Amino acid sequence: MKNLEFHPRSCFVSRRSRQKTVLAAGALALACFAAPAADVVLTNAAPGGAVSTGADLASLSSMSLEQLMNVKVSILGPSETVSRTPAAVSVVTAEDIKRSGARNIPEALRLVPGLDVAQIDSSEWAVSARGFNDQSADKLLVLEDGRSIYTPLFSGVFWDVQDTMMENIDHIEVVRGPGATLWGANAVNGVINIITKSAADTQGWLVSSGGGTLERGFADARYGGKIGDNASYRVYGTYSDHAGAVLPGGNEATNSWQMARGGFRVDWDATGENAFTLQGDGYVGWVRQVVEGLYSPVPPFTETIADDWQTHGADVLVHWTHTYSDTSDLKVQAYYDYTGREAAIFDEERHAFDLSLQHEFALGGRNKVVWGLGYNVTTDTEKNNQYISFSPDAQTENLYSGFLQDEIALVKDRLSLTLGSKLEHNDYTGVEVEPGGRLLWTPWADSGTRALSSQTFWASVSRAVRTPSRTEESFKSTMADSIFPPLPEISYGTDDFESEKLMAYEIGYRVQPLEKLSLDLAAFYNDYNDLRSMQIVSLPAPPVTPLTTLLGNDLYGHTKGGEISATWKMTDWWQLRPSYTYLHMNLYARPPAVSGWVPQIEGSSPQNQFSLRSSMDFPHGVTFDAVLRYMDNLPTFQIESYFELDARLGWRINKHLEASITGRNLLHDQHAEFAPTQIFTQTTEIPRSVCGEITWQF
Amino acid sequence: MTFILQRHPASFARGRLPVLRLWTLLLALLGCWPAWSEEIRPPDYQVKAAFLYHFGQFVEWPTNAFADARSPLVIGVYGDDPFHGDLERMVAGQNINGHPVVIRHIKTLPDLKGCHILFIAAPEKGRDRELLKAVNSAGVLTVGEMDDFIQAGGMINFIIEDSQVHFQINNNAARAAGLNISSKLIKLGRPG
Repeated sequence: MKNLEFHPRSCFVSRRSRQKTVLAAGALALACFAAPAADVVLTNAAPGGAVSTGADLASLSSMSLEQLMNVKVSILGPSETVSRTPAAVSVVTAEDIKRSGARNIPEALRLVPGLDVAQIDSSEWAVSARGFNDQSADKLLVLEDGRSIYTPLFSGVFWDVQDTMMENIDHIEVVRGPGATLWGANAVNGVINIITKSAADTQGWLVSSGGGTLERGFADARYGGKIGDNASYRVYGTYSDHAGAVLPGGNEATNSWQMARGGFRVDWDATGENAFTLQGDGYVGWVRQVVEGLYSPVPPFTETIADDWQTHGADVLVHWTHTYSDTSDLKVQAYYDYTGREAAIFDEERHAFDLSLQHEFALGGRNKVVWGLGYNVTTDTEKNNQYISFSPDAQTENLYSGFLQDEIALVKDRLSLTLGSKLEHNDYTGVEVEPGGRLLWTPWADSGTRALSSQTFWASVSRAVRTPSRTEESFKSTMADSIFPPLPEISYGTDDFESEKLMAYEIGYRVQPLEKLSLDLAAFYNDYNDLRSMQIVSLPAPPVTPLTTLLGNDLYGHTKGGEISATWKMTDWWQLRPSYTYLHMNLYARPPAVSGWVPQIEGSSPQNQFSLRSSMDFPHGVTFDAVLRYMDNLPTFQIESYFELDARLGWRINKHLEASITGRNLLHDQHAEFAPTQIFTQTTEIPRSVCGEITWQF
Repeated sequence: MTFILQRHPASFARGRLPVLRLWTLLLALLGCWPAWSEEIRPPDYQVKAAFLYHFGQFVEWPTNAFADARSPLVIGVYGDDPFHGDLERMVAGQNINGHPVVIRHIKTLPDLKGCHILFIAAPEKGRDRELLKAVNSAGVLTVGEMDDFIQAGGMINFIIEDSQVHFQINNNAARAAGLNISSKLIKLGRPG
């Protein structure tokens, strides 16, 4: 793939590579592996169906200007660019996000085939790919503009504080399957990279406001301007007020929340060879919660507390790209990220600093080499309480990493092999090696027929690890024991916690049989070992000995499944995008692990998921979008399978003004999508909701 | 952050979709593409290449732009070759008003010397202003394919409308650079 290119922030998509016409077609170039801080990209879409014969060119060159203007052309679309990527990848574009009416990132992620997104309550989501979904799903790496936004505390994401202004997002890239070869630990079952727009693309004013039943009210404002000829900037601020979700009986649950955020970004093209980006954000949030099942030493030995969480954070990032030539560049990035969360049951302050470097160059005619180095340090301070404590209560963790990858054109334009490995050192488990190999085969790339030339096969074998989190290494929790009061139930993490390990085998196939139809299939077999387990240290023996448990690494097993998705532009004004996801999990416990966890983990991810997206364009700037989705049952939470429907009606009134109304969960008054698994906030259901929005740009 | 043992009693009863049937259906769909006879549209870049070649016939350069009547007309392409070699193939052996047409891939600013037409590919957005500054008033016909290319001082900008390639013309910029664009070409241009 000669058009694979590393780009500063995007995993796959070079911002430079975008062409407005391509964007309009929702097209984005993709490639699959990127480094933690940065990314690999297809600059120009691969020639896809664009196969020329001498006769074609001769006839074009002999045409008059008028005739040329009448030639209908094919514009490189997503399928043609994604199709040259040897991994299961999807892109959600800004247009997709807008037309879905998504007001937060998890809602936008529902558009991605193969992702399992479940809302727990008003401010909490469980998001995973290929199984293992959980309140603190820990096998997905999530980045925003190259900055890691999962927390080393439990290797998951606090989704409530990832509320960047939706209008700033350029696109979201999602890889299902491991990306550890370049991204390193935690990129086990997938990688999500949220890429915001460059400041040059957000010039002028944008003001947006609205509200509804669940989204009680929100306001976004952004202004972008120029500094001299070569630099652009933007500043933005956003505030949102969310109602609580509902209790099974229909009353509002106690989980309403508010967030305020502001930030800036400056992009400077200093010279043709050097480009800089400086950006930063700050936020503060308030979440009302009720936490149940806590231990109390006095009757009734269990307690439910009203807990007002306060969240705050700030980050600043600088990025420098130096271009040596078309095929060689150097990227250096540094960021500092501060997060804090104050609650009665949990109180943490965390500072992270990250520095990374990445160099790409062509070697001979056939090799495209990328290598990089990285250093990350994170320091936390935990305020221990009677329910949850950490020992030690303050800690610094260092992570050193390096990677090398070579993409080798075995047969030019037909067959390429990408080999690489990440090598990293962390304080818990020492050195981890994460190698991988990917094969891309486009056997009929030169054929003159789209149905043949667009056919792409890929296969990969890769190893990934999830390194221990702070929680697994050093926590202690004291919860109520409902069976043997007045005893508590005490759980411990362990210093001996090992990395969870994955060997992943994947195959994929893509084809665009018709100009208006593209298909994407991926299948996987994942072999896991040393998964987190729990063992019993002491059984409850009233009146003295409580149930005491300890974490271990004694679950193992495999998962298999696949995803099929299609894009069908039936007419100029109507597009359908069906997708189907299948997952089968087979986990086992070996002694001394408690086997009861196995069905609970297996029963927390849907076996079957189906979705059908419809996008319609009507005259006078009216658009109508709807997503019908099916989620299989979740036995762990006794949640039955369900169909749900989200819809949005949009009207672009003129160049400056747009209005929309979005309805979510339209088929049911309310229903549960997931349940708390880690911190026992109220078990709530998600109600039908309606939200209106007006956006003004000038 | 703890898992509580058996907090959620697991039920083993699971509903199952007819998964196999769905796969079968998809395979059946794959088996019956009517694709083989479908008309293949040329990619937009092949049409843009043809336009680039044609533009040379509708523009008059200042006399000092060519060393002599036989010296080549140089079309520069900045950025990863979006034409994948088609532009070279198209102009091979062709002349414009007696000048043999030559394609040059521009990597650095000095390469621009002697160019008559400069095409800046969309992925180079961000550098277009710098390039335009470097070549403006140097008698180079600048051609781009970006939203604000005309506003940035570019001369001809490709746009796609209804799956067809059209272009906008900034005649003021061309005249300022000493280029004379024929009225025929100007008439065909879309309002910028």
